[in-house]
Amino acid sequence: MGSVKLEGQVQVEWRWLIAAYLFLAGVGGGAYLVGVIADLSGGPDWMAVSKIGVFLGLPCVLIGTLFLLADLGRPTNAWRVWMKPGTSWISRGTIIIVLFMIFAAIQTALWIWPFAGPLADNESARHLIGVLGAVFAFPTVVYTGLLLGYSQPIALWNTALLPVLFFVSAVSTGIMAIMLIGRSQGVEGTQLALLTVIDAVILVFEMFVLIVFLYNAYRTVESRFSAKRILAGAVAPAFWLGVIACGLAIPFFLELFGGEGIVASLAALLGLFGGLCLRYSVLAGGTLSPIMAGGYEFARVARPKDPMPAMGKLPPS
Amino acid sequence: MTRYGMVIDLKRCYGCYSCVMACKQANRTPPGVFWSRVLRGEMGVYPNSVRQALPVLCNQCAEPDCMKVCPTGATYQTDEGIVRVDKNKCIGCKYCMMACPYGARYSVPEYKSYFPEGLPVSDYEKHCMQVWEEKRGCGVATKCDFCIDRRAEGREPACNQACPAKARVFGDLDDPESEVSYLIKTKRGFVLRPEVGTEPKVYYLPPR
Repeated sequence: MGSVKLEGQVQVEWRWLIAAYLFLAGVGGGAYLVGVIADLSGGPDWMAVSKIGVFLGLPCVLIGTLFLLADLGRPTNAWRVWMKPGTSWISRGTIIIVLFMIFAAIQTALWIWPFAGPLADNESARHLIGVLGAVFAFPTVVYTGLLLGYSQPIALWNTALLPVLFFVSAVSTGIMAIMLIGRSQGVEGTQLALLTVIDAVILVFEMFVLIVFLYNAYRTVESRFSAKRILAGAVAPAFWLGVIACGLAIPFFLELFGGEGIVASLAALLGLFGGLCLRYSVLAGGTLSPIMAGGYEFARVARPKDPMPAMGKLPPS
Repeated sequence: MTRYGMVIDLKRCYGCYSCVMACKQANRTPPGVFWSRVLRGEMGVYPNSVRQALPVLCNQCAEPDCMKVCPTGATYQTDEGIVRVDKNKCIGCKYCMMACPYGARYSVPEYKSYFPEGLPVSDYEKHCMQVWEEKRGCGVATKCDFCIDRRAEGREPACNQACPAKARVFGDLDDPESEVSYLIKTKRGFVLRPEVGTEPKVYYLPPR
């Protein structure tokens, strides 16, 4: 190898802004799904949980969409994004999240908003709109994995595990967001205990999916640069501290042994931060797989951060 | 129908980066934008190792992934098979940059001066910025189009003209008599990343 460290061509275009969107869409969609399920299957005890979950859907996804707009090079053209739902996941995704936001807005306006709306009493109508919203909440969470997975040269993303990872993380962070807000809204006792246990189980599953995802990435020649970058390279701090420590290990043990009160809130807060770091690690770890030509492997040599060499201070004019 | 393509002979290329500089001059690209690039590759383990230069540019694919993922239809193909970007339709989502198997697309938020901050911007650089804004635009995806403006004037692409080793040949792939067709047929021409199925139109001749 020598002194030159070969590193694949790293994608630098999608970073924190997109990670924030992926995270917020996950939290919003996941919380909404949990809220609808609590409303469908839980009794009146679960009303607080389902209200918080359904309420979180709209603002989270809406704020996430603002992050998306902020990342655009030409935000004034953004209305054109609908043009090609036939082939582009960004087009499809925009349609999905807008439909989701419409159903979430209907739910919020007619049920949760300070005055008790017509849906508070009419249970079957509420359930119907909830299920319709959930039909779009699920793809809201999952389509981002498919969107990244369509990118063939970035082999780290081009796997069917990514939507699974995003979905599991979304449900987990959704539950955590509900626990965090529910602390001041009377979510305690049986409900909180059950949510904590469910979340702990999901965290174990998320850990499993993450291990398989990275193992798969490392064993594939095309994505080995990406896996190294996440596990031991530039993204390693965000991955080990953010995802593994804050996102998975600490919340899991706090939920297992801590349980109530401020400890549960702390676990939820750390877990949410971990969800953000997970999206960032996946995005920032993306590297183009090396090009093979004539038996040679072509990978971009790691280049300095600033393409322009420093030219020294200018003399005062 | 004309279907433009390029053949790059890796046996002739010695990695002088002339094509990179010629492209920058001809298209007045801002710092950090390299429509034409040279990758360095190696094979084997020391002491039995060799290095090889690989010039890459947009492959003008017949089935371009960048066009498929474009949510607005800003990326389109001309009748000659050139993949172009309509800057008025592009929203700058950068999805095409993720999807391109060759890393051939670039987008810059602004045309920064090549010189350190504080120095006055020269007239030529102002002119370059103006031309860039008119033809390509900042914040939108930009890419190689086989020097469409130069070809309109009857000249060949800049990288092609600049190559001192005559490693590049530009021509019509549909014409069976053309030099590119002849080279691809007789010299074992191959394309990069055939597995992604984008049917690229830049061919390479093997290095040995």
